[in-house]
Amino acid sequence: MLKLKDIRTFYGNIMALKGVSMDISEGEIITLIGANGAGKSTTLMSICGIVPPRSGEILFMGKPIQHMKPDRIVSLGISQVPEGRRIFPYLTVLENLDMGAFLRNDKENVKRDLEYIFELFPILAERRYQTGGTLSGGEQQMLAISRALMAKPRLLLLDEPSLGLAPLVVKQIFDIITKVNSEQGTTIFLVEQNANLALKVAHRGYVMENGRITLSDNAASLLSNEDVKKAYLGL
Amino acid sequence: MDYFLELFLGGLTRGSIYALIALGYTMVYGIIELINFAHGEIYMIGAFTALIVISVLTMLGWNQLAILAIATLAAIVWSSAYGFTAEKVAYKPLRGAPRLSPLISAIGVSLFLQNYVLLAQTSDFLPFPNLIPDFKFLEPYEGIVRSTEIVIYVVTAAVLVILTVLIKFTKLGKAMRATAQDRDMAMLVGVNVDRVISFTFIVGSATAALGGVLIASHIGQINFYIGFIAGIKAFVAAVLGGIGSMPGAVLGSLVLGWTESFFTGYISSDYEDVFAFLFLVLILIFRPSGILGRANTDKV
Repeated sequence: MLKLKDIRTFYGNIMALKGVSMDISEGEIITLIGANGAGKSTTLMSICGIVPPRSGEILFMGKPIQHMKPDRIVSLGISQVPEGRRIFPYLTVLENLDMGAFLRNDKENVKRDLEYIFELFPILAERRYQTGGTLSGGEQQMLAISRALMAKPRLLLLDEPSLGLAPLVVKQIFDIITKVNSEQGTTIFLVEQNANLALKVAHRGYVMENGRITLSDNAASLLSNEDVKKAYLGL
Repeated sequence: MDYFLELFLGGLTRGSIYALIALGYTMVYGIIELINFAHGEIYMIGAFTALIVISVLTMLGWNQLAILAIATLAAIVWSSAYGFTAEKVAYKPLRGAPRLSPLISAIGVSLFLQNYVLLAQTSDFLPFPNLIPDFKFLEPYEGIVRSTEIVIYVVTAAVLVILTVLIKFTKLGKAMRATAQDRDMAMLVGVNVDRVISFTFIVGSATAALGGVLIASHIGQINFYIGFIAGIKAFVAAVLGGIGSMPGAVLGSLVLGWTESFFTGYISSDYEDVFAFLFLVLILIFRPSGILGRANTDKV
């Protein structure tokens, strides 16, 4: 479904991604783990066209997208929940969700999806007229995921959804992620520092170090891999 | 009492015109954090476009109201084209550059437009015919308020209502607010940010052009320099109200209009401009975020 072929991405003269290749199939949950500054977020921003790669190829459903503008990429069915949630702070919860469905014109279905979101996260229904900035961290994360889901993506990119949240909220959010994957068939690309958690929900995983993929395997084997255990699982 | 009322209404007139210009400043700042110093020139170009159209159509012997309508429309379209082009040529290539670069570029555009109109139209004040008819019902109030001023109030109020509806309730308005709050995130939900920015420049230029035609009709003469001083004052008004905030721009404009009007009426008209800038200095010292501005200037 999504193929990265040797992409190199730069910030100014600094090469953040030094030839990254990945392969994600439809319906999978895959995770990308790695330390701070390894290039995980940059990988997601490159896929979305915010920081386009300088070389290499990104194929989505067989189509090269590395030169497309972000809004075109969204329209193909890729949505991102960025690091730090990035809720529009002065828009209401409802307006934030509307923005998620910005490119959709099927009003009836959008309405139905909104109902679905409010079923998943009843707290958002309660707070629908509150501005995004007044929500708690956990509620903002729920809103960020919901906003991405409102686009009805085929591929959902999640950047550190567990960051800074209470364990109970983290569990709730990961339950929803697996639910969306199994019920809607949405492919999930999960970036996490919490490797233990990520590898438990994912089917496959990649390990990134200094802008390079150093390891890729199915999640169970990564969990028992000695190097991964030492470096990322704290065992 | 009549004198007070006259000054009050005069201040309202000034304030309304400042508001029409300040809205463009504040909208552009809200979206790309650029003080568009060429904005006053867009207003001046609006007035000149209207004058040219009026001159041609008057020679052809058209009906006054038809001329006024077409001249206003032409001013709006032409000024919008200038605003749109200035953004594409002078600001867009500098997106991502340090904030000072587009600011300097904006000053360049401002100087360029001033001098280009200076060369094309000379530095003389050109008479601008007032095509707004005298309203019968205003006859008893002659000497206090003129028909043109009533039109200015009504048009400004209408523009405010239209802009509020646009920003609050339309999809495009929502996209504008989202872009202002977090540009990258707006891109990530599929907003074509370039288009939103262009649209913002067009709307800002159109309202400024409207202000240009109205004030030219009111004062009766224009030259290449009117945009500079009006632009700076509208900028003061926008900062006073809290730059980036639309209600703030209107409030700041009215406050500036009234203080100027009362100051010149009761104290001295010689120091009118000095006073406006003194105002700016005082705001920057005591309340840099303006009356309605958000305290945090750095965006989250």
